[in-house]
Amino acid sequence: MHRHIALTMLVLAAVVVSGCGGAGSGDPTELVVTGSTTLLPIAEISAEGFEESNQDANVLVSGVGSSAGIEAVAAGTASIGTSSRDLKTEEESLGLVDTPVAFDGIAVIVHPKNPVTELSMAELQAVFAGRITNWSELGGPDMKIHLINRDEASGTREAFHKIVMQDVPFDLRAAVLPGTGQVRDVVSRTQGAIGYISLGFVDQRFAGARAVKSLDVEGVRPTASAVADGTYPIRRTLHFFTEGEPQGLARRFIEYVLSDEVQRGAVTEAGFIPIFAGSAGGES
Amino acid sequence: MSDASAGHNKMRLVSRSTLAKEASLAALFFLCAFAAVLGVALIFLFVGVRAWPVLTDVGLTDFIAGMTWDAASEQYGILPLIAGSFLVTFGALILGTPLAVGTAVFLSEIASPAVRAVVRPAVELLAGIPSVVFGFFGIVVLRPVVAELSGGTGFGAFTAWIILAIMIVPTIATLSEDALRSVPDGIREASYAMGATTWQTIYKVLLPAAKIGLIDAIILGMGRAIGETMAVLMVVGNAPVFPADVFSPMPTLTAQIALNMSYASGTHRVALFGMAAILFMFSMGLVAAVRLVSRMGGESK
Repeated sequence: MHRHIALTMLVLAAVVVSGCGGAGSGDPTELVVTGSTTLLPIAEISAEGFEESNQDANVLVSGVGSSAGIEAVAAGTASIGTSSRDLKTEEESLGLVDTPVAFDGIAVIVHPKNPVTELSMAELQAVFAGRITNWSELGGPDMKIHLINRDEASGTREAFHKIVMQDVPFDLRAAVLPGTGQVRDVVSRTQGAIGYISLGFVDQRFAGARAVKSLDVEGVRPTASAVADGTYPIRRTLHFFTEGEPQGLARRFIEYVLSDEVQRGAVTEAGFIPIFAGSAGGES
Repeated sequence: MSDASAGHNKMRLVSRSTLAKEASLAALFFLCAFAAVLGVALIFLFVGVRAWPVLTDVGLTDFIAGMTWDAASEQYGILPLIAGSFLVTFGALILGTPLAVGTAVFLSEIASPAVRAVVRPAVELLAGIPSVVFGFFGIVVLRPVVAELSGGTGFGAFTAWIILAIMIVPTIATLSEDALRSVPDGIREASYAMGATTWQTIYKVLLPAAKIGLIDAIILGMGRAIGETMAVLMVVGNAPVFPADVFSPMPTLTAQIALNMSYASGTHRVALFGMAAILFMFSMGLVAAVRLVSRMGGESK
């Protein structure tokens, strides 16, 4: 953390000294990418890959939170600000250009034998707030609902809280587990359990992992394309923000992040949905 | 004369270097002991200073007697967490103590040297297994079984009891065995000479004679249980509420500190240090209890 700050300061100084001559006079070799911790794995792996093919480039990646990332790019201390949320109304006047780099969908998962296949957003909220405590109230068997929640440091919990709960507090009686893998494992083995995980982790990735069933939300199946085209409601877009259209090194880096190599690699491996998943025929 | 002066010189030379060696060794050992004291003092000071604002920011009664722990709504009542810690600890002691004392009796009174040579290292090895391994065993093997039996998720006090009971066996068993072995053989021989059976000797003579050492062992086992973090965190479920039953997700002080520490700030962080201070006081109380029990034992002899 301190190292990142120190590096950021150093680079800031370098930019001030060398970058005053005006744009286009020659590509700077250092690129500061800062912001969302959710985007950190994508940004870091991309930076490594990018530096390999661009020997003179030095990409400095740090995770300080989406708001701080947007602030940094607006203030000019970073070339790219990464964010796991959209711009707030007061940030829209900053003149930032948005490049979506990935989608994050959150799937609601239950035991494969659970006959319930669909919940509305209101039902989901009632379940996780502890107002509905039995599956029979949702058209299922007479079985207690076992809530599985994530710890508060989790970005997935934060997103779920914002999109589904809309600031209604979670039921405190829910089990709190510190990882996506644990949530998945417990739900796969417990008949009455319900939890939520990033869409990319629903399918079995390892031999021996048991299956979980993802529920339709508002009648929409959680698939990569439903997340990408926005019909599946529990989703968010992951952004790269730049001050004006990206130029030079920043533009080459963003192009690399949007390339098949990163989208099919780092983005998918981190459990996110590639940006082109919904638009096989091009931008819509 | 020359002989005498040489002898005198030699004596002085030897005694001076010996003196220096003795003094430096004494200083070295003092430093070693001092490092431990310094460590405790520094940690106590650090935790105390960081926890102090809890008295003003939360208030002592709202903190210790508060019923709701919810950082999102800035409620920092740790009573459910304290209750959880004690529920887990005492359950584990009730399950683990008979197992451990039984092991100690077996090792000290019944086992042949050959059997003892196998069982004793096994018990000691149990103490060397990292707690995260116990936790992993708990979550992968034990939790699904408990879930099957209870119809719940398998997270809760019951699962933690079993894991912790196994974890405290080596602590209590080795200390209890030492206590039993320190009972003079004359007492055993006297008991057998009176015609007592092995069981009668163990139950009526040896256990009462080793009572003080056994109580010490159990208190230290309790300290081990209440301070255990990783294994407990993995199996209790960490819901910060009073559990409805022993199969419902529940919290402990240690697990909650570990879960929250990475992101807590402000009052939330202060409250975590306050919980650490409470745990510190518990273990000071336990150490004081051990000393008190030992002193009582010394007086009654």
